[in-house]
Amino acid sequence: MGTVTWRLFADLAEVAEGREHTVSVDPDGTVGDAIDALLAESTGLRERIFDGDTIADDVNLMRNGSPADPTESVADGDELAMFPPVTGGR
Amino acid sequence: MQVLGFAGPGARTLCDRVAPHLDGRVAVVKRTDGVDGSQAGDGSLEGVAAAYRVGGDGDGAWSARGSDRGLGDVLDDLAATYDHALVVGFPAAAVPTVALGDADPEQVALSAETAADVDTEAILDAVADAAPHVTLDTLVEQVKASPRAHRAGAIATFTGRVRAKDGEEDPRTLELTFEKYEGVAEDRFRTIESDLMEREGVEEVVMFHRTGTLGAGEDIVFVVVLAGHREEAFETVSDGIDRLKDEVPIFKRETTVEEDFWVHDRE
Repeated sequence: MGTVTWRLFADLAEVAEGREHTVSVDPDGTVGDAIDALLAESTGLRERIFDGDTIADDVNLMRNGSPADPTESVADGDELAMFPPVTGGR
Repeated sequence: MQVLGFAGPGARTLCDRVAPHLDGRVAVVKRTDGVDGSQAGDGSLEGVAAAYRVGGDGDGAWSARGSDRGLGDVLDDLAATYDHALVVGFPAAAVPTVALGDADPEQVALSAETAADVDTEAILDAVADAAPHVTLDTLVEQVKASPRAHRAGAIATFTGRVRAKDGEEDPRTLELTFEKYEGVAEDRFRTIESDLMEREGVEEVVMFHRTGTLGAGEDIVFVVVLAGHREEAFETVSDGIDRLKDEVPIFKRETTVEEDFWVHDRE
């Protein structure tokens, strides 16, 4: 059992009622498992970030500062991040 | 430029004690007690907005006073050429401030009963932790100081600012609040800068994005390019701001006279 820390930004942090969430994952866990653990403590977030059974196109995932995929493995102490499209503007 | 304020009884003494411990060029800004900014014995400033006295023997010594600059204007002026600014007696300013005694500044960096209770090291840490005060001039001076500046005949800049209205019917924007993914945002900035600096004829690229809450008309973001010729300077500035908006994790919340919302939800 290890822990990873989620960093949430913009409206995702509002929906989840907090910018940082530390969750537990199994030693052979994945980013997807860490998402499940986050959703277990943040009601309302599922509707915001899922489009059907997959993560919505407008939600970005990062692991330790690099773009990540739900199937990717996580390690104890990782920093995961989830955020909407970065600020655009014309 | 790093900025730290001091407020409350003993603020001046504490400021004077800290100044010699700071590296680089240090500026000190103190509130004058006179209503019109003048001090006893200085005579009247009637009809004069700024009065400078400059050392005649070329030693660079100068003094100045005036009647038309607020603290924000003064800090903007200093930002390009000073490494630190210590500010005394402006508790309402948006500056991290050391609070002494009963002082109640807008942004408290640390607080203590008297100046003697404050550890100088703690103040130096507070100075280092403060968000830097950066203006367009800061970045222009920075690229001019480049070791490759002798190859450059052009500086092109982009400044993004808070637009109040995007059309006659558009509800007026009061402010924008920017949230940044600390650490990752800086990595993205450095990647974009170094990618663009590999271009032929481009000597320096620097970018800066403010965070926190900015009012209508305030500057948000700067991109500055030092290049051999104007063509590559303009092109690189344009690509720089486009990549910044695509790649750097910064999020924008807009407050208008009618509502407030995350800008990515409307695009």
